Amino acid sequence: MHIPDNYLSPQTCAVMAAAMVPVWTVSIKKVKAEIPKVKLPMLGVGAAFSFLGMMFNIPIPGGTTGHAVGGTLIASLMGPYAACIAVTVALLIQALIFGDGGILSFGANCFNMAFVLPFVGYAATQLIMKRVKGKNADLIGSAIGSYVGINAAALCAAIEFGIQPMLFRDAAGNALYCPYGLNVSIPAMMLGHLTLFGIAEVVYTTAVLAFVRKAAPEMKSSTEAVRTALPLKLLMAALVILTPLGLLAEGTAWGEWSTDEIAATGAGFTPSGMLSGFSYSSLIPDYSLTGMPEWLGYILSAVIGAAILIIIFKLLSVAGNSKKENLTV
Amino acid sequence: MNMNLQLMRLIRRITGNDSEYQTADQSRILPALRLSVAFLAILLCALSQNAIYVIMIIAAELLWLSMKSPIFIRKTLKPVLIAVLFCFVLMLPAVSMGHPRTLLTVSMKVFESVLILSQLENSVSWQNMTDAFRTLHCPQLFVFTLDMTMRFLVILGRYSNSILEAVSLRRVGPDHWKTAGTGGILGTTFLRSQKMSLETSEAMACRCFDGEYRSYRRRRFSRPDALYALLIPLLIALFVYTQQAM
Repeated sequence: MHIPDNYLSPQTCAVMAAAMVPVWTVSIKKVKAEIPKVKLPMLGVGAAFSFLGMMFNIPIPGGTTGHAVGGTLIASLMGPYAACIAVTVALLIQALIFGDGGILSFGANCFNMAFVLPFVGYAATQLIMKRVKGKNADLIGSAIGSYVGINAAALCAAIEFGIQPMLFRDAAGNALYCPYGLNVSIPAMMLGHLTLFGIAEVVYTTAVLAFVRKAAPEMKSSTEAVRTALPLKLLMAALVILTPLGLLAEGTAWGEWSTDEIAATGAGFTPSGMLSGFSYSSLIPDYSLTGMPEWLGYILSAVIGAAILIIIFKLLSVAGNSKKENLTV
Repeated sequence: MNMNLQLMRLIRRITGNDSEYQTADQSRILPALRLSVAFLAILLCALSQNAIYVIMIIAAELLWLSMKSPIFIRKTLKPVLIAVLFCFVLMLPAVSMGHPRTLLTVSMKVFESVLILSQLENSVSWQNMTDAFRTLHCPQLFVFTLDMTMRFLVILGRYSNSILEAVSLRRVGPDHWKTAGTGGILGTTFLRSQKMSLETSEAMACRCFDGEYRSYRRRRFSRPDALYALLIPLLIALFVYTQQAM
């Protein structure tokens, strides 16, 4: 679901980024008002879980892959506004350091995964929780919410892809950016997300939520600084070690092909907007380093990504607050 | 007043560093061992021909840092980011000359090296650092200079702070004293330092101190030390492996 650069026109990217500005503004205000600063490190842990979740690629027949996002997971734990901020920072790290998702299309990716996914997922979760009784109501709600959320996000991404050939064509009538229209993009994106990727999001969300409920209930309920529980740290370490499983999925996710791959996907040509478009060389492209085994590169990337996210949110928790010297880890 | 604050910050940083680590776990690892590992990591990073080794060390450092308290992280990262920013600006012409990778490589190496030193500085007290240098058989003169510098930074800092305070209390009228009086304050402090250095020399002679630093807190090489020492062969093996990877 990470839209790379040059799949969307610069105009579309600008509109999506502009659409995200009020969302980010409101989210930051809400997080400032509703979440105590001392709980921000927990948001970092949530963002790290989302980051790691996105590294587990799952293959579906047809050679395409996808992954869970974990937006509804963070929304269930800390609210949709916090989830929006957490997923935004995770996407920024992915784009800047790992080249996963474009720089120009950052706004669009945030719209899909940091706005639509957690907000729709959270709304669906709340709706279900009001109707289901019992001690597992939150888990059932989050399961359905995460499924609805990821599918809503995938639909948005499919529409963004699909409108490109309708809006941007060269003199010969060829698409300048994404060559597939809505008739291809929607079924292609939704097929995977309605089936395996949706289920993956449900499993990831409910498994981590159930684990948190048992091992670190204070993460959800406490309004004070909480030390990250040991089981939670162990779970994160296990996820980091297991990330190379994402390499078992061969093939590229739909809409994330490189310029030399796209012609062979059925388009028959490489759109000119992609050939001469913006290119950014990231520090660790595709979570791998030349000369290093892929699995090791994947683990290193997971460690770096998760650590940076936790550090960023820990720093935010003490930003402009030099007097509070006794915060917990 | 600003100068007072700056001085007080400097003094607090040095004395705070010491008092913090008297009460803190004082690290179960021998300071000399920590210093050796830090130097080795920085040296190998400088010698590394590719980015893999540097990125691996950065990953390990970031992981360790992410488990620390927010205050510790802020204290550690502040000098690192300043150094990286400075390096980034210095290396910026490399991009226009067609070598953007050089900019990244050098910035990463600076990030890694300063991060290691900053973490070391924040987790080992000045006394232990002096002890570590002595254990590693650094020249007496070097250890003595380092130790004296740290002590006199605090002593002279407090002295000039008192002068500044006195000057600002007596100040009436326009704010011209800052430039006019600074030379006087520096001069007085310098004269004072000369006097104090003579006194120190006499005190050293009275106490039969010949400049030889001896560690009185020797402790046995514990199990955590042994585990930590394993980092040395591990770092070398990692370096050799990553250099062959190219």
